[in-house]
Amino acid sequence: MNDYSDATTGYNFAYLDEQTKRMIRRGLLKAVAIPGYQVPFGGREMPMPYGWGTGGMQLTASVLGQDDVLKVIDQGADDTTNAVSIRAFFERVAGVTTTSATAEADVIQTRHRIPEQPLRQGQILVFQVPIPEPLRFIEPSEEETRLMHALEEYGVMHVKLYEDIARHGHIATTYAYPVKVDGRYVTDPSPIPKFDNPKLHMAEALMLFGAGREKRLYAIPPYTRVESLDFEDHPFEVQQWEEPCAICGARDTFLDEVITDDRGGRMFVCSDTDYCQSRREEVA
Amino acid sequence: MQWSAFDDPVHDSQRAYRQLLSTMAEPGTVEDMLESPLRPEDAAIGAACWATLLTLCDLDTRVWLTPELAAGGLGEGLRFHTGSRLVDTPAEADFALVTPATLADPTRVFNEGSDIYPDRSTTLLVVLERLDTEGPWRLQGPGIPGFRRLGIGEGDALMSRLAANQSRFPRGLDAILTCGARLAAVPRSTRITSSRVEEADPCMSQ
Repeated sequence: MNDYSDATTGYNFAYLDEQTKRMIRRGLLKAVAIPGYQVPFGGREMPMPYGWGTGGMQLTASVLGQDDVLKVIDQGADDTTNAVSIRAFFERVAGVTTTSATAEADVIQTRHRIPEQPLRQGQILVFQVPIPEPLRFIEPSEEETRLMHALEEYGVMHVKLYEDIARHGHIATTYAYPVKVDGRYVTDPSPIPKFDNPKLHMAEALMLFGAGREKRLYAIPPYTRVESLDFEDHPFEVQQWEEPCAICGARDTFLDEVITDDRGGRMFVCSDTDYCQSRREEVA
Repeated sequence: MQWSAFDDPVHDSQRAYRQLLSTMAEPGTVEDMLESPLRPEDAAIGAACWATLLTLCDLDTRVWLTPELAAGGLGEGLRFHTGSRLVDTPAEADFALVTPATLADPTRVFNEGSDIYPDRSTTLLVVLERLDTEGPWRLQGPGIPGFRRLGIGEGDALMSRLAANQSRFPRGLDAILTCGARLAAVPRSTRITSSRVEEADPCMSQ
């Protein structure tokens, strides 16, 4: 049992009221039962603007317990603005223990990355999603996109990828790369780099997606088939780098380009700060 | 003895919900729920079923109770503690409290949702005599590495209803299974086969 003496008083545990949590909890059960389908929910106003992770926060608040250990990442990093402020928020309103170590966390809220270290059974990964509808850029009407999902009419998704090939000679979509979940629903995996798409397939952890502004939530259960859309002659490929991480030397991670001076100097480092640090400690 | 609520409504319901979420995400796994909260001695439902009702129901949900489970004043207890509305026909319900015998009656029709909004469907809350991981039912699909087995006693009516989900997907019924304090779930994405049928196959090919 945790000591709540540091937590802010005057709010319910984890900020949301119980009625709202129950509504989101019922929605999440349906989302898990229909993998990849977007369940509408009554999104609440959170004490931060839309676009900063209000959807993810409402999901985290609904599943989080007092004995859980929480990790929050923003583009793989534990120490960037969005991650720091959301972590501090749940420390204050839920009094939970937080960590930056992927293996120690029970619940991980993420903005646009999946940790490099494979997740284990029992962990919950909560994604912040800006636009949950993968068909939105092709069809602006919600009524139409719902019907397209109902009829499994996904040909336009392949047309979009084909236009990439016609224009660039290869599939140029690099993030929010559409996937098909359990052979049925085409789903937006949130703006994770396509490098992370293979980690969605048969993952051991439960993955929940929350879009606050659009008020949609969806889920990919563990051990679920997740295929990235592609063509036989243009198979799905992930990004590759010519050099290893400049800090830890990893060759199998997603690297961020960091500009080091104004004379063209640059370096590539792991986007997952926890993974990078733990590798450095192993070497040392 | 009366129907009682959670001792600690916030944290007890959160704990119960995580067990519900985990069993729904990994169909065929069985969780043991806490023995509290208490129920009257003549209640026909166990601790897991009552805890599930307290966790998921509120004034936004419509609940249908099968008459054989209404013992001990369950309807009044549920209305008092959650504010849920009790409905007369199962097709109107968000949650339907049933037994396999209820499901054997083909006139009991539940809401399967629509192709456009498959989430607007009835969740079955099933009270069973037996619930374990050894039995003739083989589950495959999302949440299951390989396959899992489930034993539910005399549950053919339940499993044939749930097996029918596959042909209607994404419409369908999701089931939360309870037996005493034990909890499991079979969502509509699960593909169900009976190994009794598989064993019969070699004979048929002769």
